[in-house]
Amino acid sequence: MKKNLNVLFTLLVLLGIMLSACSAPAATEAPAAEAPAAEAPAAEAPAAEAPVAEEPVTADTLPREQTMYFNGLQWGPITGWNPYSSNNNNAMAVNQQDNALLTMFETPYAYNMLSGEFVPLLADGPYAWDEGMTAITFKIKSAAKWSDGTPITADDAAYTWATNIKYETNAGVSNKEYIDTIEAVDAQTVVVKAKLNADGKAVNPLLVANYLTNNYIIQKAWTETLEARSADAAAFKADPAEDVVGSGPYKKFFADETKVVLERDDNYWGQDASMFGKLPTPKYLAHIMYKDNAAGFTAFQAGEVDVSQQFNANIQDLWLKDMLPVSTYLPEAPYGIGASLPTAFFNVASNGLDQVAIRKAIAMAVDYDTIIANAMTNQSATFTQVPRSIMNPTAGEQGMYDQAAVAELQWTGKDIEGAKAMLDAAGVVDSDGDGWREYNGKKLSYVALCPNGWSDWQAAIEVVAAAGKEIGIEITTNFPEWAVYQTVVTNWPLPEGYDIFMMWSDGAGPAQPWARVRKLIGSEFAQTQGNWNGNWGGYKNADADALIAGIPGMTDPAEVKAAYTELTKIYLTDVPSFTLMYRPQNFHAVNETVWTNFPHDGDGTNPPVPPMDLVFGWGIAGLYNVELVK
Amino acid sequence: MFQPLEHGCTLKKGDEALKGYRKYFLNKLFWFLLTFVAAFLLNFILPRLMPGDPVAVITQKVATGMQSQAAVQAVYQQYAEQFGTNKPLHEQFLLYVTNVFKGNFGTSFSQFPRPVSEIIKASLGWTLALQFPAIIFGWIVGNLLGALAAYLKGTFDKFVMPVSIFISNLPAFGMAVILLVVFAVNLRWFPTSGGYGFDMIPSLRWDFVRSVIHHYQLPFWSIVLIMIGGQAIGMRSMAIYELNADYVKYSRFMGIKDQKIIGYVFRNAMLPQVTGLALSIGTMVGGALIAEIIFSYPGLGTTMLSGIMGQDYPLISAVTLIITLMTLFANFAIEIIYGIIDPRIKAAQSD
Repeated sequence: MKKNLNVLFTLLVLLGIMLSACSAPAATEAPAAEAPAAEAPAAEAPAAEAPVAEEPVTADTLPREQTMYFNGLQWGPITGWNPYSSNNNNAMAVNQQDNALLTMFETPYAYNMLSGEFVPLLADGPYAWDEGMTAITFKIKSAAKWSDGTPITADDAAYTWATNIKYETNAGVSNKEYIDTIEAVDAQTVVVKAKLNADGKAVNPLLVANYLTNNYIIQKAWTETLEARSADAAAFKADPAEDVVGSGPYKKFFADETKVVLERDDNYWGQDASMFGKLPTPKYLAHIMYKDNAAGFTAFQAGEVDVSQQFNANIQDLWLKDMLPVSTYLPEAPYGIGASLPTAFFNVASNGLDQVAIRKAIAMAVDYDTIIANAMTNQSATFTQVPRSIMNPTAGEQGMYDQAAVAELQWTGKDIEGAKAMLDAAGVVDSDGDGWREYNGKKLSYVALCPNGWSDWQAAIEVVAAAGKEIGIEITTNFPEWAVYQTVVTNWPLPEGYDIFMMWSDGAGPAQPWARVRKLIGSEFAQTQGNWNGNWGGYKNADADALIAGIPGMTDPAEVKAAYTELTKIYLTDVPSFTLMYRPQNFHAVNETVWTNFPHDGDGTNPPVPPMDLVFGWGIAGLYNVELVK
Repeated sequence: MFQPLEHGCTLKKGDEALKGYRKYFLNKLFWFLLTFVAAFLLNFILPRLMPGDPVAVITQKVATGMQSQAAVQAVYQQYAEQFGTNKPLHEQFLLYVTNVFKGNFGTSFSQFPRPVSEIIKASLGWTLALQFPAIIFGWIVGNLLGALAAYLKGTFDKFVMPVSIFISNLPAFGMAVILLVVFAVNLRWFPTSGGYGFDMIPSLRWDFVRSVIHHYQLPFWSIVLIMIGGQAIGMRSMAIYELNADYVKYSRFMGIKDQKIIGYVFRNAMLPQVTGLALSIGTMVGGALIAEIIFSYPGLGTTMLSGIMGQDYPLISAVTLIITLMTLFANFAIEIIYGIIDPRIKAAQSD
């Protein structure tokens, strides 16, 4: 026995010595790096950076001066490159929404959220509606080529649509109510036929046009390859598509658990004079998966990230206090262009919240300036700067309703006396003297919620709760986990304890502000199950529905403006929900340590390049303007 | 007469020992299997008892920006069908069991359509490479320090002992955060996160290896330091006990060299420490996940966290199954080896 033990022990010691020998250099390396602290990074830096200009790029390193780094887009390992799949979790390559991602795949038009225009990308010139607004015709640029060198044709566009329908992809199911077919007239000409209603008019012309900026054209030949190897629709959409052929300026290069890298396609068709006339500047686009905002922020500060799509609190400190070459689209607060309206919804089924006076009183009492200063660190316009409506703060949308006509109805917040007077007038008073008002003999007591960990929203919800106390309405807060929260709020009826809760609204896009208005107050979403669209509080208004249904078919701008003004009146009168702050479409801060000449307000570009992180919509044009600092 | 009797006697003894051992072994195996079945069940059920609907989470990600209500619901149905979450729980369990025994852990929810086995394969290596050397290194250094403290006493002991107690009582995340703040954020000697340089593509080049070693330091030491503290305390008290044992005094009177005595002492004091080592290795995957999470190290801990956040049932079940199995096997192995090494334990157990 003792002998056995001896052997065991000797083995263990030997193993230990071996391993400690392995670890020992590591141990001694630490102090070695300690003493000349400045030396260690200095020694490393030239190794990685110095030879980049001359040395041909190997697959092993990404030369810093040829690589643009992003954060805040990709939060976990990517799972594929399949443009027909809706869950590649590949935020650098596939994203077909408003302001579609245009790195690897391309849409006929790129949406410019600043001007609202459709900039022709694969398309040659503007699109045209036919007489009765039942079909759109556009042409494909003759220079447009796939990454394998073959030309992009109208047939590809038609086949993409047919495939979307056949395999029930997201692009298919979300547009088939509005688009009937997409057909190739000749090699270059595409016709998009709208679904028609009983009157022979397009069901929704707005969403037909929307398709042209939001959805990719995908190669027919590759699609057929994918079909051939897929057993069924599920397999088709789950295929990781490592062999995918795209048309964009970048192609896939590398991906693992910690990063994803795209490499420029030096044969990209867009260097043709009919498009950009040159290649985008960075050879590589890379995104490291940071575990949270804090980690991403640290890297951004250190200059390891060039373009940050994160909410970085007190971003101005980076240039004012830390003296870093960091900037945002606007030099002063709100630093970015507000595009979406984070909103608190009233559950109209809760005791008293069916009463306009109570809803409006709560909304009037909230201190929005505090929310904007604390929760958003002033990265939102205030409600004095951009008065409350259903429009986002972009100039285009602000011009779409008659501001003077609704001025009476708008409120800027912290109006405690006004709110109290409104409640008193409505007979909602504290009759039993406990300090809280009653309605229907029941104390007004609500729970305000938002998902846990969404710190800016949580701060906002706390301010809402504080406002309730000021006007005699008890509001407590609750922050469930997102997984639970969103399962609850998307299914009517809402359980007890979900009285005032935050959700988002649509941002900037080709179908806006119509789609946002529809989702804020359209009855079609009210009181439904599986509702990821909007109007989660259950508010219904037939007048609003009629206006919303009418707008897509309107052609006279004055008529459209009148309709939006009326909808804004309804929204501000009935207060089914209330906006707490403005939020940009994408956060967009840049660190100009390596790259410079990023899009900024008034940078002289025409059409103006929107602050869309150089990859979304017309923001992609920014990649052609950036240059190295040196 | 005498000889055969003794012979027969030893035979009988050996037989009995073997029989006793078999009984002991079967007993342990029975409990091992029972625990395994219970753990397997819990692995399946517990994640599914979490409130919330993972399919809804995926649908939401996909549906943002979709204009049609019916379309969103169709997407939800597709996923529910694909993941089988619309089936009753017992059917899901049967499916799960059949698949697991085929080595198929299913498709991840949160990283759909990646298979769970592929996700685990990508991260398991990082975890083993981080934790195994850390545990072994910490164990050896800790035991050496403990033994030295017991033997040398005096100032050395007065220094090692309180420091060890202090370090070993720091929670793992505390140690990791302290190292992170001091060495990565303030002094900037080491990176704050990741497994290799942000500008690297994995390959077998010196640059890359150096980058990996550089990123390795903080997570490694955050595990090692705590390990050292705990082991040193245990070894010190064991060694002190042994140093005062009669055989040591006797050996000293006999004039045996100190070195030789230390050898005996060390070996005897080792026994419980070996148990500790085996347990540490068994629980390694689950034990120091915190270091990985804090340093965003691309190992199993980070994977499990993202699985939990995404309510990724198949991924959670698979990772916890690995942890369960390793812990169970480590415990089982210790019990079996102990039965061989130390007959007293076996005897006590089988009675």
